This record gives sequence, structure tokens and C-alpha cells, in this order.
Amino acid sequence: METWKEFDQNIISHSAAHHLMALDDLVRRYGYARVSDIARQLNITRGSVSISLKPMKEAGLIIQDENRHLRLSEKAQRLVDAIKTKRMLIRRLFSDLLGVDVAQAEIDACKIEHLVSNASARQLVTFFRFIDAQEQPARDFLARWRAFDRACDQDPASCPTCASECIGENVADTPREGDTRE
Amino acid sequence: MSDLSNAEIAQELNRVFAEEVEAATRYLHLRSAVRGLDRLVVEGVLKEAFEETIRHAEVIAQKIRSLGQVPQLEISVSCPAEPLSGREALRQALTFEEAAVECYQDLLRRVEGNIPLEEFVRAQIALEFEHIALLKELLTE
Repeated sequence: METWKEFDQNIISHSAAHHLMALDDLVRRYGYARVSDIARQLNITRGSVSISLKPMKEAGLIIQDENRHLRLSEKAQRLVDAIKTKRMLIRRLFSDLLGVDVAQAEIDACKIEHLVSNASARQLVTFFRFIDAQEQPARDFLARWRAFDRACDQDPASCPTCASECIGENVADTPREGDTRE
Repeated sequence: MSDLSNAEIAQELNRVFAEEVEAATRYLHLRSAVRGLDRLVVEGVLKEAFEETIRHAEVIAQKIRSLGQVPQLEISVSCPAEPLSGREALRQALTFEEAAVECYQDLLRRVEGNIPLEEFVRAQIALEFEHIALLKELLTE
């Protein structure tokens, strides 16, 4: 299957991920959660929450007891734990290592946390183990990265990162002159 | 007596306002999403429900205005482009109608002691229960 189509095949959507994480958060804090609690937490209507939870209940991700209290199934708990871990890893990668603004790193992590595979996340865990071990190669690596000159005046043709055009310019903050792309 | 200020009561009413407007939007979509012969059966029901839900929203907005506040509306509705059977449409309607009545019941607890508001909310709950009873009746096998 072409990769972009896999977005639609993802086990849970972005919205579903947030509903599950809100439920997990509420249960951890208060011991229980109802539809109304999730609605307040996510600042959406109960109707929206109920509609969103319906397929997740049918899929066995959310269990509702006779008091209408909700909890995650074991499968959903594993999903939530994985998503939270991925969010932390991505946020840390972007913010702590790459130097992206903390708020922007949080936004970006939120957007992709549920899409990243466990395989990629495991490699990130390994990478952070390398960094956190504080051994000389890791310290050198970080020091050299932090000291690296962010400005770039290379000719794209001779740049080892770029090919025919400067890829840095493609993701510049301000659009290039005559650029109509959004 | 409820010790909520008018602004706080309005904030609570904004929640049910959002529920009603969102429900009306969903009814509008459900009417278009039902396919096949079912459409003949449920379209009238969904149309009537849409109009009544809009009326409820107007009543809530009026109540907020009577408190000297301006209604605030925050909704986020996503209705997929999937055809529905009449039964599925009614099931969805039942889901958000039940959510709406719970919202009113929450509101009732919050405004306990404010008799005029309590009575208003009780009347709304009664109307919502009529909606729910109709939907359940239609969904009976």
C-alpha cells in the first residue's frame, strides 16, 4: 500500500487518540471519567464525545460500566502508553536536541505522535539512551551539534545535503519571492 | 440557592447552546447521508428534529441574552461522507440526544435553588426526553 494511504488505515485517528488520552488522564487524576468529563477536558460538546466514543466502544477500546463511568481496555491502555511515549520522544528530539521552540515542539509532537511506528519509536529510545549515557562520544556529538553553524551559504550543487535546490529554503519561515504555495 | 453569577450561568448555558447547535448540524447532515428507501421513512423525522433542535438553541440563546450576556459558541463538528441506513442515522441521533439531555441534567444540578432557571431547565429536559422516546420507539425491532 502506498504510504500516504496508510494514514487512513491507522488504528486510531488523531481525534480518537486525544479522546483516549483524555480518558486516561482523567482516570489517573480522579479515578473515574464520564462523557461530560472528557467533553470538558477537550473543550468540546458531549454530543461530539459520545459520537466519537461509539466506534471505540464497539472496537473494545473503551469500556463503560453501569454507572456510565468509562475506562480504557488493556488494548487501549497499551495504545495510550505508546502514544504518550512517542509524544515525549518526539518533543524531546525536536526541543532538547534540535532546538525547536518548546511550544512548537509540543504542537508538532501532538500532530504526529499517533502516526509514528513503534519500530521508529524504539530507535528513538535507543538514540536517547546513547545521549543520556553521557559517554564521551555522545558528549562530543552534542557539543559539535550545538556549536554547528546554522547559517548556510553553500551552493546547493556542492552541498552534501541538498541536490539541485536548497532544501532549507523550501522550509524557510518566510515564503520566497513569487512563491504562492501555502 | 445557586450562587453562580449571571456570567457563570451563561457559561453553563453556552455549553447546552453548543450541544443544540451541534446536534442541529448533525441532523442536517444525517438527513443528507441517509440513502435508499429508508430516506422516505426517516427524512421527515430528521427534518422535524433539526427544526426543533434549532428552536431549542434559539431558546437557550434568548435565555443567555436575558442574563445580560452574549451567547458564545464553540463547536467542532466532523460528519464523514459515508452513506447511512435510516436505522444508523436514528442510532446516531439517539447518541447525541442522550448526550444533550445529560448536559441539561448537569446544568440542573449546577443551578439548583434558582427556581426560575431550574424550571426552565426541567422543561428543556422534558422536551429532550420526548425526542429520545421517539427515537427509541422508531428503533424498536
